[in-house]
Amino acid sequence: MALVEIRNLTKSFRKGDEVITPLEGVDLDVESGDFISMMGPSGTGKSTLLNMVSGIDRPDSGAITVDGVEITKLSRGKLADWRAANLGYIFQTHNLVPVLTAYENVELPSLLLPISAAERCKRVELALEAVGLSDRADHYPRQLSGGQEQRVGIARAIVAHPTVVVADEPTGSLDAATSVQIQVLLKRLNRELGITMLMVTHDPNVAAIATRRLYLDRGQIVETRSDELVGQV
Amino acid sequence: MMRLFGRFAPYVVKTLWRHRARTLLTVGGAAVAMFVFCFVGSVQEGLRRLTADEDAQRTLIVFQENRFCPTSSRLPLDYVGRIQKLPGVADVMPVQVWTNNCRASLDIVVFNGAPPRQLRQARDLTLIAGNWSEFETRRDAAIVGRNVAQRRRLVPGSQFSIGEMSVKVAGVFSSSVPAEENVIYTSLDFLQYGRGQDFIGIATQLEVKPTEGTDPNELARRIDEALKSGPVATTTRSKGAFQTSTLSDLVDLIDFAHWLGYACLALVLSLVATTTVMSVQDRIQEHAVLQTLGLRPSRIFRLVVAESMLVCTIGGLCGTAVALAALGLGGMAIGAEGVTIAFRPSMQLALLGCVISLGVGIVAGVFPAIQASRTPIVTALRQG
Repeated sequence: MALVEIRNLTKSFRKGDEVITPLEGVDLDVESGDFISMMGPSGTGKSTLLNMVSGIDRPDSGAITVDGVEITKLSRGKLADWRAANLGYIFQTHNLVPVLTAYENVELPSLLLPISAAERCKRVELALEAVGLSDRADHYPRQLSGGQEQRVGIARAIVAHPTVVVADEPTGSLDAATSVQIQVLLKRLNRELGITMLMVTHDPNVAAIATRRLYLDRGQIVETRSDELVGQV
Repeated sequence: MMRLFGRFAPYVVKTLWRHRARTLLTVGGAAVAMFVFCFVGSVQEGLRRLTADEDAQRTLIVFQENRFCPTSSRLPLDYVGRIQKLPGVADVMPVQVWTNNCRASLDIVVFNGAPPRQLRQARDLTLIAGNWSEFETRRDAAIVGRNVAQRRRLVPGSQFSIGEMSVKVAGVFSSSVPAEENVIYTSLDFLQYGRGQDFIGIATQLEVKPTEGTDPNELARRIDEALKSGPVATTTRSKGAFQTSTLSDLVDLIDFAHWLGYACLALVLSLVATTTVMSVQDRIQEHAVLQTLGLRPSRIFRLVVAESMLVCTIGGLCGTAVALAALGLGGMAIGAEGVTIAFRPSMQLALLGCVISLGVGIVAGVFPAIQASRTPIVTALRQG
């Protein structure tokens, strides 16, 4: 059984009188340890699919099962609990809480877990070490560069030891050099820590670091090779 | 739940501190409103204690009929003996009243002249400075209520003069009846002679204590009936009714002032709610991020209510504390026609201020908290 099973997933939006259906009967299996990148033209439902796997959006029909739990059937409250324990989310624009230090930002998700303060502290320190920011723990987001902020965002996503980490264009707001650093980091986290990742990107070079590359078009998923992906984009 | 909230306490405090100017202005506004609320509350409490306590209901005041200002009520002292003969009368104390101002005033000085020994038995006064024996033996001696002493900076040994009156302070007293603490007591003789020949043998009012089991209203009727044939007709009422009637204009104003108190609460409510709504609207995306990280909508609700409660409680407690300190140190009172209402701090008022601050803070946070917890995560994330 796959770690993430997506079955017959459909999602529509109403835009004025028009009904748009970016995802229609989508099926996908994600195995534990997979690093999946998703590409495709704007409006093809990449982020929508990511949001539904994250449990922050709901499909019109279909089912998503993560590690045996059908999250599409959970209530809002239960879904929040599930996210706290099983999901790490890396945002494009970092979305750190500006009044909290890097340490406190990383600590946030772990505050919701039933673990001791000592264990929490250990996990935060390890997460910051994993992204190479142990020496910036006391810095506020405004005192960090864009790349450092994104690394704090990544540390926050992995601190709770989630089942799956999703990343919505994690390098979208970074310059080329910083983007490469983040790509290396994400690849290392997947290889060394075995973290299952699902990433949306517009950049074929970023997509190429994934072990599986998906292309979304007209509501359907096509799995491609790396060179094909670059050609399509 | 409290432990979990405790973990997020730094987030709540830092969030408020992020917009410190807005937070401090709201705290200040809440403090000012609660200050006014406590002041209004203390006046109302002062009036209630003056007119509704047991002593005010049981003690009767005999006053000259159709007279209101103490300067115009003149009862012959032989009325004391006539009243004492009536069945159901335990004690009659003649009181000569002199005030510097018959109209409503915030700095009224009221002299009550009464036989010192009788006064000591009839009133629940505790000397906090000075001694009784000097008061009882020295002709121009006076004991001064704590509030007057505070306002006029009087201590035992001071000479106090106002108008034609000049007394030597023999002591300062406190009383279980706050209004008493605005009065200066002298001997009856001193006040009669001090005011001139016309006042010798005259009292402004007679205070009658009924015996246990006597109906005060029935006794009042019998007193007026018995004195009808005398040189001066009288009106006898319970002390509470007498004081309410004397202060009738002020009572109407104070009754109206309670709306001012409610207006203050509405002001705090709208002020804190507005600040919290603004804070929530600034952080729609931040709350969506927190929900994405796994905070339940109900927890977001509680965090927003906690922010609102904290701002309101800090402001409310500051306002209440300053009001109580001002009331305690200021010794303020308002009075008319020789009757005063004391503005005193009380534990009840302090408790009311705390509970109301907390309650208003919670209520003010509910609407913004609902707004923060119900916004769809994806919609909120796109607003960034």
